Amino acid sequence: MKADTLRKVFPIISVTAVVFIAVTLLGLTDTVVRSTIEWQKEQKIQRMLYEIFPNMTEHTLEDDIYMIYSDEAKIGFAFLAVGKGYGGNIDILVGLEDETTVRGITIVSHLESPGLGARITESLFTDQFVGVNIADVALRQKGGKIDAITGASISSGAVVDAIRATVMEKVKSLENRE
Amino acid sequence: MDKFRKQFIAGIIVANPIFVLALGLCPTLAVSVTIDNGLVMSGAVVFVLVASCIVISTIRKFVPNMVRMPIFIVIIATFVTIIGLILEAYLPAAHASLGLFLPLIVVNCIILGRAEAFASKNPVVSSIADALGVGVGFTLALVTISFFRELLGTGGLSVLGVDLFTLPVLGEHPLALFILPPGAFLVIGLLMALFRWRGVIKE
Repeated sequence: MKADTLRKVFPIISVTAVVFIAVTLLGLTDTVVRSTIEWQKEQKIQRMLYEIFPNMTEHTLEDDIYMIYSDEAKIGFAFLAVGKGYGGNIDILVGLEDETTVRGITIVSHLESPGLGARITESLFTDQFVGVNIADVALRQKGGKIDAITGASISSGAVVDAIRATVMEKVKSLENRE
Repeated sequence: MDKFRKQFIAGIIVANPIFVLALGLCPTLAVSVTIDNGLVMSGAVVFVLVASCIVISTIRKFVPNMVRMPIFIVIIATFVTIIGLILEAYLPAAHASLGLFLPLIVVNCIILGRAEAFASKNPVVSSIADALGVGVGFTLALVTISFFRELLGTGGLSVLGVDLFTLPVLGEHPLALFILPPGAFLVIGLLMALFRWRGVIKE
């Protein structure tokens, strides 16, 4: 009887043991490489800031907002916006010239479908944002100035909505600070 | 040792995962755009394949038959996540260009296929031979396919970030079709036909 119970429970024990070992291994790997991953992301963001503000000489990070300087003069600010895409979060770096004008955007990371939603990274889509007033950052069918990517209206909408919402929020927090 | 060699060679030619068994075609179609992509993807697959087969073969006598699938998947997924984290930390560009297809190695039928059909029934040494053979077979197939796709689709070749050469006419007017998914089907189909015709692959 006892051996019988053991045989019934053994599959559960074995799966639990395997999962336990797997989780431990993953935790260890994560601890080892996490700081490198964060450093790589920081490097990537710095490169992307240069793309949006080519004459940037210096930047500081204050409460998640990058202040961009060129020879001591403030030329704009940038921050990350997170959109809810079709496949997961879309991280967007948004650069602003002043409180109302977009200087440029770059997609930092995303999980959209290749060939459809993933085309939000192409300049054909991102260049549309350059110099646009934040009030016009909306898809064209909703009265804005941004054309959605064919077959990827959810991904395009997620980018646009995240940028508009985050700009409103960050501009307000900047005004409160001054 | 002779048995080891036989097992190893089988995976490369007689049981080549892509050209003969036609397994794992989905990531192959998506990833074989450039040689660099092909190399990183193959590296990740070989690592996961060999590591999972070693573990699965070691514990094969303790794995209850009714839960073997979940256990195999957890083991494979663990190694896929580990290689994913390592690539993200040390080769972020490659990690970004493989994108979704890296985590999808978990459900790559080559790996689960070898685990189920071989590693779960055979001792560790022959499981390693089998995994390495199939892994090298996959690598050779992926590199061959991406060689033709990159050459025709971009008109040049670059390996490990270094531009080797650009063809005179193709460089200016590349056949972009070969970068797109239909190009992958064409290249794989033609290569399969070629290998069959020349008798490299036998029925």
